[in-house]
Amino acid sequence: MPPGNEYAAEQLKNQGNAHFKNGEYEAAETLYSQAIQKNSKNPLLFTNRANARLKLEKWEGVIDDCIRSIELMKENMKAFFYLAQAQLSINHPNEALSSALMAYDLCTHSAQQTSNAATISALVLKCKKAKWDIRERERIRRRADLLAELEATLETEYKKDVDDIEARIEKQEVGRIEGQEEKEERKKEFEKKRDDLRTAFTLSDPEHLQKREVPDYLVDGITFEIMHDPVVTKNGRSYERATIIEHLKRSATDPLTREPLTIAELRPNIALKEACTEFMEQNSGWVYDCEDGEMDRDSRWAHLSSW
Amino acid sequence: MFASKRLQKELAKLHEKLPPGITLIRADDFSEWLMDIRVIDSNPLYQGEVYRLKFNFSQSYPIEAPEVVFVRDESHPIPWHPHVYSNGIICLDLLDRQGWSPVHNVESICVSLQSMLTSNTKKERPPGDENFVRYNTQRPRDINFVFHDKNV
Repeated sequence: MPPGNEYAAEQLKNQGNAHFKNGEYEAAETLYSQAIQKNSKNPLLFTNRANARLKLEKWEGVIDDCIRSIELMKENMKAFFYLAQAQLSINHPNEALSSALMAYDLCTHSAQQTSNAATISALVLKCKKAKWDIRERERIRRRADLLAELEATLETEYKKDVDDIEARIEKQEVGRIEGQEEKEERKKEFEKKRDDLRTAFTLSDPEHLQKREVPDYLVDGITFEIMHDPVVTKNGRSYERATIIEHLKRSATDPLTREPLTIAELRPNIALKEACTEFMEQNSGWVYDCEDGEMDRDSRWAHLSSW
Repeated sequence: MFASKRLQKELAKLHEKLPPGITLIRADDFSEWLMDIRVIDSNPLYQGEVYRLKFNFSQSYPIEAPEVVFVRDESHPIPWHPHVYSNGIICLDLLDRQGWSPVHNVESICVSLQSMLTSNTKKERPPGDENFVRYNTQRPRDINFVFHDKNV
């Protein structure tokens, strides 16, 4: 690399950041690209461009940038965070989830980045929800196919019976009125069978039977939401890691006892975490009530956007 | 932030069941709620009166405490109490920046205020009430109260 290029790249990056701040993402992307031409060894240039491309919804570009950035720097929370969002947008929730979990892991293991925990943990939930949605759609489609096939069989049988009766009326084997009565009866029988079949399908759907309530012991006492990374305090109560950290940053006390408590004293509650995971897997989509686009309105998101 | 989600869940619970003497009056949005409280036992200071509380929530609730004051209108006086100024501002440690904990909620605040009144026997205002009411321009949450005693 010729001397001075590193400096030139830094200048271009700063210009790019200024455009990014003003919401001029096209211009920011161009400047970051020029910076990368000057210096392709700086992982931050790639994550900055990934962020601009994220805003421009250039998903493939985001993925390329994140992968290149991770190649240059392994412990790269931002790159995994952007990567997860792009993967989620192109409907690859499995990959998105593992990227989001990487970001979350890096975030909770680094002392200075804990403020991002809540944002990343929201993304993890979103990925899990997307994964569940796909499975659920597939399950509903399979059930619907089977139901449609069985209903069609019933209907074919019913039509055949009706045709038989008509033929016998034609041949004067039965009287017209008698035949009509028989047809009415067949129709009622068919409708009853079809309704029973539909009822059976409805009843066998676990979604209709589940009690839609998260047990209190899986709920974070601060957000009132189900936990996915519970940590336990000295007095034995568990909270969601991201929210208790928010509290401890303001006041280093146990929320319940007011005794001194620091972030370093929190311990993961592994068994409870497994209970939460299991509950979410079994109770599926309704647990996640995070709406689409919610993350982007999050004010804490802003500080991740530019450097 | 999670304020609106958490308040949504609190509201669902408040609609289900409330302790005696506490009523939900208005919660049209997630920034301002009105609650009524009255003292259940026979404390003569508060007989036959209902007090109205106004809650204001920030985006950071419940990490940040809500702002809670008594409001006066024709049917709701400001209760007598050595920690309640005549303009409705309340001096209670759990509503203070240091005393607040995110495990508190609207219901537990109402219960605490209810019991603060129940146990009071003095028909008094805080010292310096007249001056405070006349000159204070700060929002309740920005005031640094000095807590004179720890047992109220």
